[in-house]
Amino acid sequence: MPARGLGRRSSPITLVLLVVLLIGFFLFFFSSPNDAANKLRDSTHTASNALSPPSLPFRKAKANERPPPPPVVHYHMNNVTTSRTPIENQETVLILTPLARFYQEYWDNLLSLSYPHELISLGFILPKTKEGNAATAALQAQIAKTQSGSQKKRFASITILRQDTESPLITQTETERHKIENQKARRSAMAKARNSLLFTTMGPTTSWVLWLDSDIIETPESLIQDLAAHDKPIIAPNCFQRYYDDEKKEKAVRAYDFNNWVDSPTAREMGARMGNDDILLEGYASMPTYRSLMAMMRDESQDPNIEVQLDGVGGATLLVKAEVHRDGAMFPPFAFYHLIETEGFAKMASRLGWKAWGLPNYLVYHYNE
Amino acid sequence: MLPFSTYEAEADIFSDRFQPRSHASTRRRRSNIIKTLAAAAAVLLVLYFFFPSLITGAIPVLSFGLLAGSEDFQLETVRYYDLNNVQGTARGWEREERILLCAPLRDAAPHLPMFFGHLRNLTYPHNLIDLAFLVGDSKDTTLELLNDLLVDLQKNEDSKQQFGEISILNKDFGQKVNQDVESRHGFAAQAGRRKSMAQARNWLLSAALRPTHSWVYWRDVDVETAPFTILEDLMRHNKDVIVPNVWRPLPDWLGGEQPYDLNSWQESETALALAETLDEDAVIVEGYAEYATWRPHLAYLRDPYGDPDMEMEIDGVGGVSILAKAKVFRSGVHFPAFSFEKHAETEGFGKMAKRMKFSVVGLPHYTIWHLYEPSVDDRRHMEEMENERKAKEAEEKAKKERLEKIHDQFENPSGQWDKDKTNIQDMANKDVKEVSSEDSEKKVEKQPEQPSEKKPEEQAEKKPAKKVEEEPEKKAEKKADDHTEKPQEKLSEKESTDEAYVHVLVLLYVKTNIGHRKTDKTKEGKAKIIDPLDEIPVVGKKPAAPES
Repeated sequence: MPARGLGRRSSPITLVLLVVLLIGFFLFFFSSPNDAANKLRDSTHTASNALSPPSLPFRKAKANERPPPPPVVHYHMNNVTTSRTPIENQETVLILTPLARFYQEYWDNLLSLSYPHELISLGFILPKTKEGNAATAALQAQIAKTQSGSQKKRFASITILRQDTESPLITQTETERHKIENQKARRSAMAKARNSLLFTTMGPTTSWVLWLDSDIIETPESLIQDLAAHDKPIIAPNCFQRYYDDEKKEKAVRAYDFNNWVDSPTAREMGARMGNDDILLEGYASMPTYRSLMAMMRDESQDPNIEVQLDGVGGATLLVKAEVHRDGAMFPPFAFYHLIETEGFAKMASRLGWKAWGLPNYLVYHYNE
Repeated sequence: MLPFSTYEAEADIFSDRFQPRSHASTRRRRSNIIKTLAAAAAVLLVLYFFFPSLITGAIPVLSFGLLAGSEDFQLETVRYYDLNNVQGTARGWEREERILLCAPLRDAAPHLPMFFGHLRNLTYPHNLIDLAFLVGDSKDTTLELLNDLLVDLQKNEDSKQQFGEISILNKDFGQKVNQDVESRHGFAAQAGRRKSMAQARNWLLSAALRPTHSWVYWRDVDVETAPFTILEDLMRHNKDVIVPNVWRPLPDWLGGEQPYDLNSWQESETALALAETLDEDAVIVEGYAEYATWRPHLAYLRDPYGDPDMEMEIDGVGGVSILAKAKVFRSGVHFPAFSFEKHAETEGFGKMAKRMKFSVVGLPHYTIWHLYEPSVDDRRHMEEMENERKAKEAEEKAKKERLEKIHDQFENPSGQWDKDKTNIQDMANKDVKEVSSEDSEKKVEKQPEQPSEKKPEEQAEKKPAKKVEEEPEKKAEKKADDHTEKPQEKLSEKESTDEAYVHVLVLLYVKTNIGHRKTDKTKEGKAKIIDPLDEIPVVGKKPAAPES
């Protein structure tokens, strides 16, 4: 009898309850439970107003009501620590990346970092060029995916900045980019981009700043913890590149970033003879500085925790205590002691009393074009 | 029959639906519901016990988001900004450009109410102004008072009066430098003080600057008078960095007004040459005699009737009131807490901005007024003036008392004098021609003696009290002063003949005393004639003789 069947199926309460229960179950067992994540998303780690530091997520205002006046917010910066044990102390890390090209490997590596993601904020700055637009679109697609995905992988907050670069170089190929005469203008523009990114995204709660270039595609998962464990104001791992050795017919690694160095008397002398606005560059045969390069100090057989004090650093991967930047150490877009950008940054930090260190045997890998 | 039978048929078909259900099925259904509910409750209970934190996460799902309890679904984590929109233009208020107002504070509680008065009066749309304060190493109630005033400010019903983001950053740098006027402005303390001030400014800026800001305005809380339209006035010039002239009012005895902020200046050849000679960490601080830089200062170029829109290119800037485009700070210009081209803090800021090719200008004829806080020297001076006034009063009082005492203790000779006079006149009546001429001669002699002899007496009174501890040179000076001052006093005192008589008596007494002492000292056995202008009896050391 059809009527009877219809009557039985339409008992709505049971159905509703079943659905609710099922959803409840799914929620409990499939949404990765994370106590810390929930605890962190309380009032100290979120902002109540859209006008708030970009390093904090904020609660959306309801569409149909007038927002209340922005509150008076206290930040106790005496309590912002930078210690050897950043996870235990709930120290927040701001990962900053000036991005010209988006590499999927970069994003995947970022997601694989084992530092609690709810303590990580990301900041990107992209040029307003055709290439930049493409990179932005790719980046935004990945962000949307991650931030609506599993709780564990979500980052605390993400800021995307766009800016016209002052001297847009038409071609960004590797050979063109490294031409000596283009270097000063390129690195000056790069320094400005870094500074813009840094000073607008660093919030009052940030403990560490990790500079990670967009072409760094492989790092150890525990990169942040490992670098922080050295408790240095500025610390850089060695940046290498994987390649296929045609002669030996095998995969191999080679040094890539030559901006991590210990100064030499020759370089200082060269600097003294230079004009006020001239800069010294590393890695060019026409400018032999005889500095000791960290890229050349690697010894596979040695302990990866060996530290070297540096006078110049590169920006490929660099963990900096936020107080170094807060004191004013920035990336000089002009010749500062004949140094520019990240190398000038190390010099400025040392003028402020902060020393830079490097780990010659701890490797991160650069993209191979 | 047909309709009836049809009805019957229909009734037969639907009879089941419209009749009460059988007890068995109802019971079965009911027990089913109860069972499922119980099971659900049990599961939830168990889960709640094992994962108490999850219950909050479950609520929105169970309620289909109607309760909206979880923040996860309300949290915005991604922000997108185009920095080309926040470059700063001449008419920012029309383009809704946001300003970050920064004020570093330390022990500033007394000035806060005045500062908040200024804030309320600003004509720039308040909702476009974000406020950021850094409170550090304060020993007074700055933090509490600041919080109360800010909460009050935001309570304003009018949403146009409410400010934007408000942050109070609390950071102690553990500075040893005192904040009182002397230690703040002493030359030796300057370099260190400027560096730590720079550090505070950088911490404040780096924590408060957002991608939404087009402008940054630095303002000291101890500005007493400034136009309400200052933000628009400075903005209209459309410069990267711009400062007004800063003066301060002074008490009348100091000249009424004075240039205050000497850190806004144009570079000079002398200063550049000087900088070359200095050590890497040396800091040139403007406004101190230690470094003669011969730089043209914005402050000294002020003309009260000059065009307030006149601009002047400068290299160093003062920090009392700086309006800068946010892009200046974004590109990395900051307040060097180290010696940058031999300058630190705001002066170094100006230098660095110039180095990055930003425009840095000052407005010589657009003036704001800094609060006048008496310096230690001024305080000392004021105290001195006050003491002098008191001493003078005390002296006058003492003199009056002494006069009265003398009046009481010595009998007034004028009665006797009159008596004698009449006697003499009586006698004169007898010897008319001779005696009357003699009497007149005596009087004439007596009068001129008076002024010259009065001096030692007065100085004898004054000196022991005041000058004992002073250095010899100063004494000599004072003496010279006394010489010039005295005659006027004498003239006025001469008016009363009564007093004059008393003086004569006292003088005679004093004079004998001096003479006595002098002879003792010289031990020559004979009395010396004392020149009252030279030899002044002083307790303690004898002053060096003046050159004359």
